[in-house]
Amino acid sequence: MTRILVSHADEPIGRRVIKNLYHDPDVEVILALGNGPPPRKFDAYLAGGDPRVTYTRVDLAKHRPVHDLFHSAAFRAAEIDTVVYVPRHGAGASVTAPLVGGLSEQTAESRLLLQHCLETRAIQNLIAIGSAFVYRLPPGNANHLSEDSELNLDPAVMPEIRAWIDCDMIFHSEVHNDRLRVVLLRVPTVVAAGGYVYLHPSLAGRPGSRVRALGFDPICALVSDKDVARAVRAAVQTPVSGIFNIAGAEAVPLSILARWTGHRSIPVPGPLLGMLDATERALGIESRLGAGGGAHLRYGFTLDTDRAAEKLGFRSQYRIGLARAGDGALRLETASV
Amino acid sequence: MSEIEAPQVVEEIASPLAAPGRALGHDPFDDLATSDPLSEQLDQLEARRGQKPEARLRARRSPERKAAAARPTLARSSARRTTARSEEERTKPDNLARLAQRRWATTPPLAEIELPPPKGWVDRLLNPDERRILAAFAHLVEGEAPYDRFGYSPEAMKTTFLIFHTLYRIYFRVRSEGHEHIPGEGPAVLAGNHGGLLPFDAAMAVIDGALHTDPPRLVRAVVDRWAGSLPWVNLFYARAGQVIGTRENFDKLLREGQLLLVFPEGIEGIRKTIAHRYRLQDFRVGFVEHALRARAPIVPVAFIGSDDQSPILFDIKPLARRLGIPVAPITPTFPWLGPLGILPYPVSYRIIYGEPLRYHERFGPEGADDSRLVRYLANQVRRAIQLLIDRNRP
Repeated sequence: MTRILVSHADEPIGRRVIKNLYHDPDVEVILALGNGPPPRKFDAYLAGGDPRVTYTRVDLAKHRPVHDLFHSAAFRAAEIDTVVYVPRHGAGASVTAPLVGGLSEQTAESRLLLQHCLETRAIQNLIAIGSAFVYRLPPGNANHLSEDSELNLDPAVMPEIRAWIDCDMIFHSEVHNDRLRVVLLRVPTVVAAGGYVYLHPSLAGRPGSRVRALGFDPICALVSDKDVARAVRAAVQTPVSGIFNIAGAEAVPLSILARWTGHRSIPVPGPLLGMLDATERALGIESRLGAGGGAHLRYGFTLDTDRAAEKLGFRSQYRIGLARAGDGALRLETASV
Repeated sequence: MSEIEAPQVVEEIASPLAAPGRALGHDPFDDLATSDPLSEQLDQLEARRGQKPEARLRARRSPERKAAAARPTLARSSARRTTARSEEERTKPDNLARLAQRRWATTPPLAEIELPPPKGWVDRLLNPDERRILAAFAHLVEGEAPYDRFGYSPEAMKTTFLIFHTLYRIYFRVRSEGHEHIPGEGPAVLAGNHGGLLPFDAAMAVIDGALHTDPPRLVRAVVDRWAGSLPWVNLFYARAGQVIGTRENFDKLLREGQLLLVFPEGIEGIRKTIAHRYRLQDFRVGFVEHALRARAPIVPVAFIGSDDQSPILFDIKPLARRLGIPVAPITPTFPWLGPLGILPYPVSYRIIYGEPLRYHERFGPEGADDSRLVRYLANQVRRAIQLLIDRNRP
C-alpha cells in the first residue's frame, strides 16, 4: 500500500492526479497540498469524512511552511512514502512571478521539496512532472526528441523555460540516488477537455492573441491531462527510476493548437520578435517570447516515448481532437480509445 | 557490352583506410580490406555485367565459387570477431519473437485503394493513378490526424506531387532504372550523390520512388539542419514528408520501417564546382551506423543530371561564411539573372538504383559500435555509388 503526497493539488493537473490515485486500490492515503482553498471537486473526497484524502494549504516555495509540514506530527502520522511533485501551472502560474531568494518560484519549490524528501527517511519515491520544453530544439518544423537529447542551456532562453530547465536538473541530479527513487516525467503541451492548455510557454494562460514567427508553424506534441495522471500512477506503481518522456499520439501545428484553444495566433517576422520581446520587458508586460524570439515559436518537436512504454508500461490512451459540444460549438475534447 | 574498367578515382576510393593505416604502422582493417567478400562481390558484379549469360552460369557453378561459399566467414581480425554474429544468436527465440512483432508503417497496394471522389481543384488536376498513390500515402498518417509526427501532410503533398510530377515528366524528363532494388517494405536507406543548387535530385527521387513501387513508398529525404531554419522552406519540407537530419529522426523513421534518402556528401555535394562534378566528396558516416542498428539495407543511387542543372563556376566561400549560407555560387546564370539564375536548366535526369548493400546481415547491429568499420562501410557505399555514376554517365 502506498501513502502519497501530491503538490499543487488545487490546480487542474493536480486535481486529475488526485482523482486517478483516489481510484487506485493500492493507494492508502493521499495528502493533497495546495496554495488556495480546496477545490470544489474535492468535496466528494473530503465531505464524506474519508480518511484517505487530506487537504492542506502550504506555500511550497518558502522554506518555513515546507519545513513545518515535513516535521509536523500529522505528516509523521500519515507515514508518507511517495511524493508527487505537480508543478504550478494554472492561472496562478506566471513568468513574472516574484523570485524567491533569487530563484523562480518553481525552482525554489523543487529544490525545497527534493531537499526534504532526501532528509525524510520514510520517503522512498519522488515522482516529478517536468516539461519537455527543456530540450534544445534543433531547426525544423518537427524533430523527434528522446530522453537523451540535449537540454537547452542557452542563457537567453525565456524565464519560464529557464525555470523548467533548473527544476529538471535539480531532479536529474538525484536520479541515481540509492535510497530515494526519483522519476522525472517530461511532458509536452498538456491539453484538457474544454480547450485548456497547460505547460506551453506561449499558449498557457487565458485565451488571447499570441505571436508566432512568420514562415514557421512548429508542430506541438500534445498529451491529455488524463494521460499525465495515468503516467504518474504508472510511475508510482513501477519500481524504476529515471527520466521518461510522456506524450500522446497527436501532434499539431502551433497555429491549429492556438485555434483549438481559443487563441489568436499572429505571425510576426522573425527579426521583429526579439524587438517585441525587449519592448514588452521594458514596459513591464509579461513576455512569452524569450530573447531572440524563442526557438519554441519556430521549431517544433515530438517525443520518443518508447522508454516510458518499455519501463513504465505507459502508452497514451486518450485521443485529442475537436468535437461538437451540446451548444453546437466545436471544442477541444479528449476521448479514450 | 564490354567489361568496364574501374577508373582511377574508384581505385582511390576503394582503399580509404590505407593512408591512415600506413601512418600508424599497421592497420587492423588491412586484412578485412583485402579479403572483404563485399568488395569481391562488387568486383564480381562488375565483371559479370560484361559476361554473356552462359559464362555467368558457368562462373556460378565453378568449384572455386562453391569452395568460397563453404568457407567459414569468421575471420581472425578483432574487428571481424566483434561484428560477425553467430548463427545461434541470430536464431535466439527472443530475437525471433521481436522480429515477428515488427509492424512497419506500410501503405496498402495500389490495387486495394478505393479512390475517393475528387475534391478541390488539385484533385481534379491529378490523374487517377496519382490520386491512388497519394491515397496510399495518406495511410502513413495515424487515424484522422491531418499531420504525422514529422509534420507530413497528405493534403499538402497533393499540390507538391502535382507540381513535381509535372517537372519530372516534362522539364527533367526523368528516366530511371533498377527500381526493383528498392525494398518493398521495411526500413531502407537510399544513398545518393548530391548536386545542383536546389535539391531537385531529392524531389525527383521522391516522385520516382512513389511511381515505381507498389505498394507505393514515400521516400523521405533527410535534409540539412540549415534548411530547417529557413522560413517557409522548413514548412514545405516537413509537409512534403522530408525530415531534418538529426540522429533521433533517423533512428525513429528507420524503426518505423520507412524509406529514407540520404546524401552522405552533405552540403559539400552542392558546393562542387564544374571541375569536380560527379566526383563524390567525403562521406558522412552516420547513415551506415543507423542502417546497421535498424537492420536496414543501403541502396546506392546515382543521380545523373543533378550536377549539370546549375554548374558552379566559382564558390565564393568567404562571402558564404559572411552571409551564413552554405554556398555563394557563380554560375553561368547566377547572379546575372538575379534569383531566376538559381533555377535549374532543363537537363535530362537519370536515376539508377544499385543492388542493396545488406551490411546488417553480415555485421549486425553491433557493427554500428565499431567506428572504423562504419567508416569503411561508408566508403564502400561511396565506391558503389561512384561505380554507378561512372558506368552511366554519358
